[in-house]
Amino acid sequence: MSLLAALARAGMGLTAAFAAGAAVSRPFTAGLTRREKAAWSLAAGLLVQAVCLLALLGIGVKPGAGSLLLLEASVAGAALFLGRGLGSKGTGVPTPRGPRALVAGLAILAGGAWLLFSVGALSDAMWTTDFVAFWGYKGKVVFLSSAVPRRLFQDPALYFAHREYPLLVPLSLAALASWIGEWNDQALALLYPVCELATLAALSGFLERRVSRLAGALAAALASLCFFLYRPANAGTAEVPFALGLVLVCCAAGDVLRLEGRSGAAELTRLAVAGFFCACLKQEGTLFVFLLAAALWWSLRGAPARVRRLAALALVVPPSLHWAALYVLRGNQTRRDFDLTLFEPRRWLELPQLFALVVGRMLGTEARQNAVALLAIAAYLVATRRGILDPLLPVFALQLVCYAIAFSVSSFDPMYAVDGAFRRIVMSLFPAFTLVLCARGLEPVAVTQRGRPPAIMPPKPDGIS
Amino acid sequence: MNPAPGPRFTPARRVAVAGLALAVLAASLVRSFQPAETLAGARRLARDLRGEVRPLRDTTGFWFDPDYTAFLADLKAMTPEDATVAVIVPRRPDLYRYQAYYQLAPRRVVEERWKDEASFVATYRTEAGRGPGGRPISNGELRAK
Repeated sequence: MSLLAALARAGMGLTAAFAAGAAVSRPFTAGLTRREKAAWSLAAGLLVQAVCLLALLGIGVKPGAGSLLLLEASVAGAALFLGRGLGSKGTGVPTPRGPRALVAGLAILAGGAWLLFSVGALSDAMWTTDFVAFWGYKGKVVFLSSAVPRRLFQDPALYFAHREYPLLVPLSLAALASWIGEWNDQALALLYPVCELATLAALSGFLERRVSRLAGALAAALASLCFFLYRPANAGTAEVPFALGLVLVCCAAGDVLRLEGRSGAAELTRLAVAGFFCACLKQEGTLFVFLLAAALWWSLRGAPARVRRLAALALVVPPSLHWAALYVLRGNQTRRDFDLTLFEPRRWLELPQLFALVVGRMLGTEARQNAVALLAIAAYLVATRRGILDPLLPVFALQLVCYAIAFSVSSFDPMYAVDGAFRRIVMSLFPAFTLVLCARGLEPVAVTQRGRPPAIMPPKPDGIS
Repeated sequence: MNPAPGPRFTPARRVAVAGLALAVLAASLVRSFQPAETLAGARRLARDLRGEVRPLRDTTGFWFDPDYTAFLADLKAMTPEDATVAVIVPRRPDLYRYQAYYQLAPRRVVEERWKDEASFVATYRTEAGRGPGGRPISNGELRAK
């Protein structure tokens, strides 16, 4: 099959997932911008497609384009039937104002950067070590054997393949391969530019709705320029879809922070879906979601107890269920990556020294090399006023602290772990971080308040200053 | 907490500082862009879209040893999909092993230490692990047990 034909079929698979996701997410995306709805449709669609694939494998049917289409259409139909009356056709978002020329320029910049990543991602069969050793390997085994073999979780010979890793990326690749009809590791890379596009859409759509059109365009442009994340080597890994998950969960958290007395069923559902999506992509996703739950618990202390409780549950329960399901599949495994004996009392004294070494390495290499960027972020934070997503800033800081702790208890040389993985895993946080950054306003604030950040200021009626 | 706006830090100055900070951040992000590689990738993609067939050995995944592809292709052709195949390959880089696992999927591929569980033992450019009854394949040998 030619690459063009394989790409067309992969595109059909992604379109079907998108359409199913749009139907499933319709009840909880009412009032969002079209771009946000598109991003949610893709995320929900990837989850639906993975579940459909598992269902077909479970009943012993070899997945193909026809069977997946039938099942996804059934899910979409059922979702539309059950959700009738919920959601709305319109976006309910007022037409935003902003400097059109600047916004257009930033959109062109983001589009150009996206195009560069798309070309790079599709220019070769996916090849990185992480792809051939686990993400792609597992997807290929699932596709070619029309099953999820138990050995993927329990074969000692696969000690290197991270048997404990979540499976959404391999299942998505296997589902798209089913649409193509063969394992084409060049055409399958189409997943990655599509995920980036959804990430940029979510960033610009959310900020346009919550802050300003300019803030949305700025965030999308900044995120798209993150060429360390959006580079060909990351096609085939989980980093790019994970960045989408993080942006969505932060958007959902931002909406929950601004509930202001409403019941927030849609916002809380989005929070749960995005948290689940993150957990299905990477283990760091579960960590981020749990930290976010703690941040929301703290930030919502003035909100009704019901909202506070439901927000925490929405973030904690789905990832926990996902972890439990994986645990049933893989059993209790010795973690190859971490020397957990370091947490035993007899070795506690080693921990501070290791932690100091790791932090020293991070500061001495990564932080020093990126000192200008870090200073720019600091200057931006000082120059801008408080933003609606500021309560999420500690989540990013704590996530980095947890990475440092994880590197400290690495079974391998912690320095090697820092040098090999730190920048890559930090960069997948960057698009979500741009969301928080660009939510901070540049305009002078009419009203300042202590505690929770100010609400979005509606346009002032004439005559009121 | 941000400093309260004062005469020395007017809104206009704040906007200027924030804009400059974002510009510097964007410039530092762009440093990771590799124009030459992207251009080469665009040319490859154009050829692939025109339908030109590129051999596996010319793909980036085999940068470490293009000849290895012929060995894996022979193994794939000569072993059933449900077989367990032990591969004895150089230890470095790891990609020798990982590419064997990936390219030969869904076969169960194992390292030398699990070769007792294998129905085939394949050796690549090494005498280690070779035994009687071995059959020559591209750049190596395949022995059925």
